[in-house]
Amino acid sequence: MEKTQTPFASAYLRFLQLTRVIQALPDGQGMDANESALLQSVVLRWYEDQPMTVREAIGLADLGSPATLHKRITRLREKDMLSTLNQEGDRRAKFLIPTQRTLDYFQHLGRSMQQAQLNPIT
Amino acid sequence: MIHGAKHAFESTALTLISAVLFVGFFHLNDWIFSIFDYSEDISWVFLPAGFRVILVLTIGLPGALGMVLGIWFMDRDLFTQSDAALAFLNGLAGGLTPWLVMEFMIHRRWLDPKLQDLNAAQLLKMTLIFAATSALVHQLVWLLLDRPHMNIWVDIWPMFVGNASGGLLMLYGFKFVLDRTRNKAQLDR
Repeated sequence: MEKTQTPFASAYLRFLQLTRVIQALPDGQGMDANESALLQSVVLRWYEDQPMTVREAIGLADLGSPATLHKRITRLREKDMLSTLNQEGDRRAKFLIPTQRTLDYFQHLGRSMQQAQLNPIT
Repeated sequence: MIHGAKHAFESTALTLISAVLFVGFFHLNDWIFSIFDYSEDISWVFLPAGFRVILVLTIGLPGALGMVLGIWFMDRDLFTQSDAALAFLNGLAGGLTPWLVMEFMIHRRWLDPKLQDLNAAQLLKMTLIFAATSALVHQLVWLLLDRPHMNIWVDIWPMFVGNASGGLLMLYGFKFVLDRTRNKAQLDR
């Protein structure tokens, strides 16, 4: 179908395309697959009302060695994807909890999944 | 007939808007980054280079013509002196080079005219290509016109770095604004 677009409409549509690309520019805040797997484990436990402690997280042997996991937790904290919470009365136990940014991220994933179900590629 | 007139009107409006915005960003750059000036016409940070990418990709030829007009407007004093050729070619080099590069990429099917399939990596590469070609063409124009006190092999680097840093700064500034706006919209929902 032939579409005739005015210069204004064409400029606006290309501007929309460009904003989509600009938003996807790498900013060093993206997560790799290992960080994503760790974040999912931590958030699942938080969702089950049993937040994971740092000690438990660095003990997730299937995701890496304690030293590696510790570095990964630090990176996730630097990216504002995880924060820590001390339990009242016991300052030794440090719990990992998701930040607002993480909740937004999972909300975005959920919405994308819903959209994909509503508009399947045929 | 009416469609043609409307098309011409919108193209002219986009050209003029591009010219005004380009001149505005040029002065903003002078105001903010004057400490990064390498010489009278070259800065280590040149914000309008980023604007050049956005204008050419979204508006195309009217955007490029707007930049030509903007540069001619800023160089208007040169037209009345003996440097009219320099001012004329400066405008063409600054405005049309990125558009010609984009047209070449479209012609070779490296870029879709509607920017479909454009991704972040390609946008970054285009910003660097625009920065390099613009610096090269400017330097060649100045070399051709025997501009005094210039050394193309030395001056081309600060110009390229200025274009690239200004381009990246502009794109990431835009990204920052878009991210903040999106986050705010999500929180408001």
